[in-house]
Amino acid sequence: MDTPSPSHYEFPILGRAYFLGGRAATSIKRVLAEAGVEPDLAQRVCVACYEAEMNVVLHARSGYLAVDIFPDRVEVTVQDRGPGIADVEQAMTPGWSSASEEARSLGFGAGMGLPNIREQADEMRLESAPGEGASLHLVFYREAGNGRQA
Amino acid sequence: MALLQAETLVAASCPQQEVTGCFAADLMSDVLAFACPGSLLLTGLTTDQTIRTAAIKQLSAVFIIQGKQAGSDMVEAALEEQVPLFRTPLSKYEACGLLMQSGLPASGAGRAGEG
Repeated sequence: MDTPSPSHYEFPILGRAYFLGGRAATSIKRVLAEAGVEPDLAQRVCVACYEAEMNVVLHARSGYLAVDIFPDRVEVTVQDRGPGIADVEQAMTPGWSSASEEARSLGFGAGMGLPNIREQADEMRLESAPGEGASLHLVFYREAGNGRQA
Repeated sequence: MALLQAETLVAASCPQQEVTGCFAADLMSDVLAFACPGSLLLTGLTTDQTIRTAAIKQLSAVFIIQGKQAGSDMVEAALEEQVPLFRTPLSKYEACGLLMQSGLPASGAGRAGEG
């Protein structure tokens, strides 16, 4: 059984609110820095969070992003209420995208979001079905000897 | 800045970050995937997403190419995130060429897939 998370943060994400896109990720950047998370790891977490956040903004009605900072790892959970993903394996294919033209005008929607997330995280689990939204869980392992109990 | 005939839109705050290379892209997912911290970013994407991406990736500065106008949201984001923002009248190709000739390496030079 996991010990209780010493630090838990949640950020709501509003679908189609493009002007708010990325604000959760930049807030997480500050949170991780204040928590003393190693800079290289913090950047990997932030890149993954940004991509995940933009996926919710671009594709879903709403969602939230949660970050849990443990001594030995950082966990990220992203849940959304949206159309869901019909074929998760296909969605993981670099270059494949169902994004709208509006999304592409923002510089996203090129089909690299999920592959980027997979590249950044040590563990990734994506669950979704049509009409049921999507649930993403990521784990990033921290370095040993970071001054915290591993 | 003179090399690119660049105009300052949001000045750098102190201390300035060392410039380690250059990355050129309009797709923010490419920047998130391949750009290295400390890089300059040359882009034609004039949205606040460009700035937030640059902040996440700890890029040194953003240069808007082709003399494009930066929206107020982009400038505000640059001020908020303290990301230096410039505009050059040059095309992306010209700007890249000049920077490369001046000795600035590609972002993450030596890494596969660099921009």
